[in-house]
Amino acid sequence: MPPKSSSGKDKDITDEDEVLQAVILADSFNKRFKPLTVGKPRCLLPICNATLLDWTFESLALAGVQEIFVICRSYADQVKSAIRDSKWSKPSSGLKIVPIVTAKETFSPGDAMRDIYTHGIITSDFVLVTGDLVSNVRIDEVVRAHKERRRANPNALMTMVVKEGGAAHRTRSRGESGVFVLDPNTSECLHYEPVIGYPPTPLIKIPREILDEHPEVEIRNDLIDCSIDVCSVEVPSLFQDNFDYADIRRDFVYGVLTSDLLMKNIYCYVAKDGYAARVADTRSYDSVSKDILSRWTFPLVPDDNHPGGHAYEHLRGNKYIAKDNSVVLSRTCKVGNNTLIGSHTTIEANATVHASVIGQRCTIGPGAVLRNAYIFDDTHIGAGCVVEGSIVGARVRLGDRCSVPRGCLIADGVVIGEGAKLRKFERVSRKREALKAEQPEDADEEDEEEDSDLEEVEAHQDGAEEILGQGSNALIWPQGAPDDEEEELDERESYSNQRLMRIGDTASDLELSDEGSTTDEDDDASDTESSYSFRSRASSMTSASGGPSLSLNLSNLSDPSAHGASAIHTLSSAAAETEFRSEVAQSLERAFAEGHSVENAAVELKTLRMASNVPLRRVREAVVGAIVDRVPLVPGDPAAQRAEIAAFVRRWGPLIDQIGGVDPVETVEVLQYHCAQAGPRQGLFAQVLAALYQQDLVEEDDIRAWHLSAAARGEGLKPGSALAEGVRKCWAVGAKMIEQFDAESEEEESEEENEEESEDEQPAKPKTAAPAAGKPAARQASGSEEDSSEEESEEEGSEESAPAKQPSAAAATRGESAATSKTPRSSGDDDSEEESGTD
Amino acid sequence: MTPELHTIPGHRAVETLVAKLRRRQVVGSREAALETALVLRQVVSKARFSNIQQLIAVIREVGRRLAEAQPKEHSVGNTVRRVLHNVREEYNSATKGSAASSRNVYSISKFVLQGQPRKHTGGAAKSEARITLKENDPKDPDSFARALKPVLMEAIQDVLDELETVYDNVSKNAKDHIHSDEIILTIGHSKTVEAFLKSAGHYRNYTVIVAETAPSYQGHEMARSLSAAGISTFLVPDSSIFAIMSRVNKVILGAHAILANGGLFAISGSLVAATAARAHSTPVVVCAGQFKLTPLWNLYHEHGALDFADPSSVLGFEEGRLVERVDVVNPYYDYVGPELVDVFITNDGDHPPSSVYRLIKETYDDDDHEL
Repeated sequence: MPPKSSSGKDKDITDEDEVLQAVILADSFNKRFKPLTVGKPRCLLPICNATLLDWTFESLALAGVQEIFVICRSYADQVKSAIRDSKWSKPSSGLKIVPIVTAKETFSPGDAMRDIYTHGIITSDFVLVTGDLVSNVRIDEVVRAHKERRRANPNALMTMVVKEGGAAHRTRSRGESGVFVLDPNTSECLHYEPVIGYPPTPLIKIPREILDEHPEVEIRNDLIDCSIDVCSVEVPSLFQDNFDYADIRRDFVYGVLTSDLLMKNIYCYVAKDGYAARVADTRSYDSVSKDILSRWTFPLVPDDNHPGGHAYEHLRGNKYIAKDNSVVLSRTCKVGNNTLIGSHTTIEANATVHASVIGQRCTIGPGAVLRNAYIFDDTHIGAGCVVEGSIVGARVRLGDRCSVPRGCLIADGVVIGEGAKLRKFERVSRKREALKAEQPEDADEEDEEEDSDLEEVEAHQDGAEEILGQGSNALIWPQGAPDDEEEELDERESYSNQRLMRIGDTASDLELSDEGSTTDEDDDASDTESSYSFRSRASSMTSASGGPSLSLNLSNLSDPSAHGASAIHTLSSAAAETEFRSEVAQSLERAFAEGHSVENAAVELKTLRMASNVPLRRVREAVVGAIVDRVPLVPGDPAAQRAEIAAFVRRWGPLIDQIGGVDPVETVEVLQYHCAQAGPRQGLFAQVLAALYQQDLVEEDDIRAWHLSAAARGEGLKPGSALAEGVRKCWAVGAKMIEQFDAESEEEESEEENEEESEDEQPAKPKTAAPAAGKPAARQASGSEEDSSEEESEEEGSEESAPAKQPSAAAATRGESAATSKTPRSSGDDDSEEESGTD
Repeated sequence: MTPELHTIPGHRAVETLVAKLRRRQVVGSREAALETALVLRQVVSKARFSNIQQLIAVIREVGRRLAEAQPKEHSVGNTVRRVLHNVREEYNSATKGSAASSRNVYSISKFVLQGQPRKHTGGAAKSEARITLKENDPKDPDSFARALKPVLMEAIQDVLDELETVYDNVSKNAKDHIHSDEIILTIGHSKTVEAFLKSAGHYRNYTVIVAETAPSYQGHEMARSLSAAGISTFLVPDSSIFAIMSRVNKVILGAHAILANGGLFAISGSLVAATAARAHSTPVVVCAGQFKLTPLWNLYHEHGALDFADPSSVLGFEEGRLVERVDVVNPYYDYVGPELVDVFITNDGDHPPSSVYRLIKETYDDDDHEL
């Protein structure tokens, strides 16, 4: 054996026992290649004279994949026999290829994934690709990166391979693409937004949490989606769970990323070197062919590693001529750049071939002109024909002097008569062969296939003979937008959008905003746009952290009045939130009134949150708000009031931590903002906070953290507003509480030293009303809150000194409050502690 | 006559290497040559044959497959030819003694080889241990193979050993070529040249100017490695090669393949350096192992022979609009003609370009030029 074998196969066997599996979705689930795909699956269409499936296999073999499952639906027999006869099924290829035929009612990649789940064939992380992939990306490296990530983070669900290409790249689909929001450090995909070409997508929405949680994000509209996904084992089961997922990108990725339930991560692998693209439509067929011919796919090029096993000679100007000397080029013919000519093909005198691919055993008649044409095997192009920007199937016979202008698709076996003049974007297929039900004409013509007159029954067959010439066996497919398309087609399959994916169609008559010039318009437009909706751009942008959007977020969260000012919300989400709020209020009211258990109430809230898709903070706000608002007010009796609050928080406080996440700092902040705007209940802040503290829902450190945060100080609020005032007051209360924490810790330190004083203090302790006697700090806190609730008027004066956290300043405040205190006992308490602490 | 590949024992290893060569998972002349020799050893050790023709046919078939898998990697074919040559030699010496060595056929070779101590020692020693060989023995068809295999394995091992020691052997005379205070210009990152310069660095104090070798920028690596070895090194852009040529004492190039006409394929940029050197009458020295000698003449200078890589290192794929409108060619190798080269330094001694064809005639058998 070779000592250092670097083939993926050997490595996988020695390094890890797992077999690298791959799943090829060989069906396209759309009809973009019709009529070329009449009687033939798309993955068996040749590109550069090798079938798409061969290119896909080669791409996977490069990555060291050992086991491949090919999911086929239409023409499954053809796919199976093609696999059986190919070099890939030989044992020496090192691949194990298993074709799997799914049911006819598999209509989307999602259905196929569910089928994979039912088959139970996936045993480890696997590579998911489509059957029309051309790639030389080192997928094995992506797999390795994915596995590493999974070891660190079991929630890493999938790694998508994307390639940087620029928004206007020929290989990037104009009709359907996506905007990726990435974290540049971890390359985690934070958000995905599908984009369609027509009608143009001017705006995308990015959930605010992303900007909140990630200091730096990249919003990229220049990535070519290669649809190579390295998936974890649980991906098929997720499809099974979510029966409505149809498309892998639009539904699955979008769904996973926007789901609060799953908490899964999806990553992107931006392929720096290497090439990967899929042949998703006729336009990308054209561009991928060109990419192959201009060697972007190196070493996967016709003269080097042709997947079909042909040998080509590479000549100057990227011309590839079959190597076996079987090509007959007339002395006077012209072969232009970027051309591939298959074996046994004859090009006769004065013919011109430019930027075209010609299959095997073709004849190009004298004087014919081929430009950007793709001719499959065994086709005859008559003398003087002009074929431009079109795909001509296998075994086609074009009569002399035919004209095939750009965008035409001519299906296998079509015969077109002499002098025919096809219109642009004409789609032509054979009459007889058409047995498939997908084709509406077929049903009509099954019976009277010979009788060409009957075709005129169908409006679009008018003048077919004129167009197709004498002796043609062809049918013309309807052109233009069908009238009944609205019924089932979604936007991306609509006629106008499909035009963007058509070979040879510049679609210059469609109004497309996303054509490069947008970048300039953007500058004018961006002022009017909200901070959340970025116009999709040609280039990527990076938003730095600490920008105004972050602080705006926080300040706006609990203040509905500020929403309008910063326009952070789109109308629809605002409406959803209002609805959510009322729902939550009702739910909590029921829970309080009927005395539900905390768990049941929490479940109800969780469901509500999922249903209306709001951030966790909203729920917290609602719960905290409800608790504050429900506490019975006992005016004039602070002790009774305190007892009420303590009892209420004991009963309902745990709910705050059960709604889906524990974040005490946020709880305090939410409490602060709620109290600040609640007017009469503003004074309850201190008491509720103390009660939360006693219930261990909030720890000392949390209060400190909250106290230090910008939001707690009321930054970003309009100075002088009532809200800001309230926030400031609450913050001062917090400051005092922290002082007491400080004082107490000092006190504990000094306890041993000043034994006498502490003895003096001892008898004071039992006097405190706090129920949690085991927690000395709680006693103090409750005392201080009471104070603060009663000293609202004084606080205004002392606010400036309070933030400074100087013991002396605080002591002064304390003295003031003690003087005006109406409850001698508790203030006496305070005083005695103050003494023991500060002495 | 030619056996089907799948009947050859060890064809699995051959297929693996073919796939790796096709996919360019094995790159570099020496790497490819080593892998080829290892696969051939495996094939020969498992092969069943009752006469030498069968064995030769097997090796040729394997060799043809390997060479076709990657026609641009000439060292694969060269190694196969070398193995065939050694196998025949062993067979001849085993059956007829060293007298029938093909070397004696050409009288002029004696003249050229005068005074060169090369390969003369082995033949006599082996003829001592002559084995009685019986070809096509009907009773015991394997007896021939059994008897011959040990010497054949030894012959292939010789090829392997030569490949493994090639850097040392090329650079053993380095100090005779590089003198103190010389300024040497080199381009690319050839392992042979690197070993050569480093070995001279032990004895001489000299300066190397490395051209950075766009678009692969292998020169960066080369410069880093040389300066790490304590050699005074400058890294210059390719565009300044001509400007500094007047100061350069010697140009040292690596080679991808040395052709029979005395020309060579070398990393792109070599032609620029060699032409500039010619303009300044600066000597051009090529360092390469013997396994790079290729029986190929490049008479018509075929375009595709230069191995065109993908354009992405010249023009980024992300330049979307440009990609559509510009045809980019990125040749990986330059063809440097024999008139630009002064001497080849191989592990087999120093040779002028004009005698490369002779070396090739000695190293390979004529019937193997077309595998």
